[in-house]
Amino acid sequence: MNKQERSRHYQDRVRKSLQKPHLQDTLHRFADAYVAAREAAFAGHDFEALRVAIGEMKDQVRDNLSRYQAEFVANAEAAGATVFLAQNASEANAYICNLAKERGVKKVVKSKSMASEETHLNRALNEADIETLETDLGEWILQLSGERPSHMVMPAIHMLKEEVAELFSEVTGKEEPAEIPHLVRLARKQLRQAYLDADMGITGANVAIAETGGIALVTNEGNARLTTTLPKIHVALVGLEKLVPTIEDANRIINVLPKNATGQLITSYITWIRGAVPCADESKELHIVLLDNGRTALAESPHCRDALRCIKCGACANVCPVYQTVGGHVFGHVYISAIGVILTAFFHGLDNAAELVRACIGCRSCVAICPSNIDLESIILHLREVIGEEEGVGAGKSLVFKQVMRNRKLFHGMLRAASLLQKPLTRGERTIRHLPLFFSGLTDWRTLPAIADKPLRDLWVNIPQKIDKPRYRVAFFAGCLNDFVYPEMGLDLVKVLNHLNVEVTFPMEQSCCGVPALYSGDRGTAVAMAEQNLDALLQDNPDYVITSCPTCTMALQRDFTDLLKDNPVWAEKAQRLAAITLDVSRFIVDKLDGKALFADASGGEKVTYHDSCHLKRGAGVWEQPRQLLSDSGHELTEMAHSDRCCGFGGSYSFTSHPDIAREILGDKIQDINASGASCVAMDCPGCLMQIRGGLEKQEIAVRAKHTIELLAETLS
Amino acid sequence: MPNQLVAQFTLAAENVGAEVHAIADQQELTAYLGKRIDGPLLLAPCPSLERLDLPQVMEQAGLNVVIDNFREQGAVAVAGLTGANFGIAATGTVVLESTAEAVRIATTLPEKHFVLLDPQKILETADQAVPLLHKFHQQLPQAYLAYISGPSRTADIERVLTIGVHGPSELHILLMEGLSDDPMER
Repeated sequence: MNKQERSRHYQDRVRKSLQKPHLQDTLHRFADAYVAAREAAFAGHDFEALRVAIGEMKDQVRDNLSRYQAEFVANAEAAGATVFLAQNASEANAYICNLAKERGVKKVVKSKSMASEETHLNRALNEADIETLETDLGEWILQLSGERPSHMVMPAIHMLKEEVAELFSEVTGKEEPAEIPHLVRLARKQLRQAYLDADMGITGANVAIAETGGIALVTNEGNARLTTTLPKIHVALVGLEKLVPTIEDANRIINVLPKNATGQLITSYITWIRGAVPCADESKELHIVLLDNGRTALAESPHCRDALRCIKCGACANVCPVYQTVGGHVFGHVYISAIGVILTAFFHGLDNAAELVRACIGCRSCVAICPSNIDLESIILHLREVIGEEEGVGAGKSLVFKQVMRNRKLFHGMLRAASLLQKPLTRGERTIRHLPLFFSGLTDWRTLPAIADKPLRDLWVNIPQKIDKPRYRVAFFAGCLNDFVYPEMGLDLVKVLNHLNVEVTFPMEQSCCGVPALYSGDRGTAVAMAEQNLDALLQDNPDYVITSCPTCTMALQRDFTDLLKDNPVWAEKAQRLAAITLDVSRFIVDKLDGKALFADASGGEKVTYHDSCHLKRGAGVWEQPRQLLSDSGHELTEMAHSDRCCGFGGSYSFTSHPDIAREILGDKIQDINASGASCVAMDCPGCLMQIRGGLEKQEIAVRAKHTIELLAETLS
Repeated sequence: MPNQLVAQFTLAAENVGAEVHAIADQQELTAYLGKRIDGPLLLAPCPSLERLDLPQVMEQAGLNVVIDNFREQGAVAVAGLTGANFGIAATGTVVLESTAEAVRIATTLPEKHFVLLDPQKILETADQAVPLLHKFHQQLPQAYLAYISGPSRTADIERVLTIGVHGPSELHILLMEGLSDDPMER
């Protein structure tokens, strides 16, 4: 399949998934229930400490993989197991199929194994004429429907009970009612005999313990216990990343896994199996197939290898707004959601990952919930760069990034020209309500702000700043939106900071932070932008560099240092800038002790707060703006899902996935509306563009404001 | 504070759908079982139960006790009765060293699993079980260890929690004092 075809197929799947409201309902309801259950399950535990420990332990295994692998093999074999190392999926499948043939196996029962999904083992067994039955309820349903799992832990989460009843009716030959207890009972009855008849049981493993040579299985249904007890042959297909050094380490993972996967304190069953245990007065024949299939390659990738820490809890899907909107059949290949994007690239090839890599909106909710402390978003961004290099970032984007954005005067000149060109569309207003032709989709569901007549940089010289002895001199990094779309926000920032006895400068050579290029996979342009901005911002040696856009904050705090870390000329500068960069709310609260400074302010409005992804989960700021809002006299009321993405995502909502962005915005508008507030505050001009546009389009009388605007209002 | 541990264990086990009852002696046990089963009961080989002379007591009470040939009997038995090595209060878990196949069959195939646990053998957390796991692995060249927390469950259809999909749909934890104080003994 060529790139265009692949992209068309993918867009088609996105469209179809958006036509299934029940899928979105199910995934949203699950997400809410999950978050509450998970919180209860972790009560009294220090999640941060637990995940750091898991990450470190898994890294230790990765860095000493051959040693732990050898230890595991020796101990497993000493206990009577046969261990086979499969380099790839076909080797694993061939080994298992040959074993089945040699032993005259006619029937296989399987318990749930993502590794076997990865290798398409069922297909191989079918081709070898070996009857194979999935026994996990969800997996059996999917076997009947011919689908693949749409979630790692709840494989059939996308299906309705009516659909399951239809499938089961085909099995029994009579109409089965769509009642869940009946359907579960039916599965029990249908599958029971298979355990007794099967000659081989196939399982995965949640951990493989080097010091014992044993595996452990974490399950709820009890099918893995039957699968490992009744048939005379047990085959465990185990990804190499499941290796842990000791029983303590296994215990560490098992402690966290059910809590983070489904919010259970523990699953019904934890099964520890070491060696060829007794079976029908003999010893069982135990084969452990250790699967590489891209894992050692992943271990060698400095940018991506943290993905090997994954314990397959599926939480990154549970909290992902994109997953909740389109489900795992769209946002996934075999492995789904954020971790799926990465594993697909290494296990199933870059081609299968290319569309998924772009489907991530970059909200970092997965990063916050990952029990193995994986920075999934950063890895996905890296893969986007790799794909950008392999396939190009698209001709249009490439032109904009390389030819325009890198040349500040040209870039800003074009933005000024756009301000004039848009006149017929704005009809003299500050927002664009309708766009013509094929752009119209972008204003169907949100209005868009017009580019300002005069950017902030042109207004700057006329902003009076009368401060005799400023506490600090700070440079303002406005970012494109603040500079060219919302210049009034810059005026407000100056007003507030001046009030707090801080002088603000605007280094004129500053330009785009480079994130649009970086997030589209054009690293070269991102590096060029980082260098331009470093020179501009550090030139006058400011006390701090203040931002009003959290994505810019992350660029200045994180991306510049990462992009330039191997460049001796720039690395130190990048670190220096990172150390003095603060978003404006944090600056006011942490550095100016803003609390006292707004003591006389009288906001008096009922305000709800939207946490911008990059502010909360990037810069770690969420308390400060809330504090400022209530200190300045507003009544703060929390909306549901305040830290869920608004669906902006920069070019995500314009070019790559406007359909998904629209749905995510719809959820946000609903939550804002339900809060009963008359104003929604936030600290990001991108979120503001998205949320204000959505509110306006739906004609909802809620003001959308940057925190700095509200603070400025209270000073009037 | 054993009483506090027992209370914590009971609450956690009930939260995951197990029934927990104190049982004084064999007679009370057989009465408890008699009310709940109407078919063959697999009595798994458990050292902690051997001292109770259960087959005789139970047969006298009219229970259909099976003590061997579990592979065949497992398919028709309605219940399994086992001891337990120890419990974990934080999660309401019973831990059974299940290397002997009969123990596994008695706890997987029948609808109901009755497990006798000495309340003296309740640990507070899973972390405290780790040294015991080490000990099992030192003693047993082959090992099959089972943590059981509540009955078999699934939420695979529309996330609706449903009990008893493949394993037992009922787990009865019967706390009997004086049964065994050795966590290595099932």
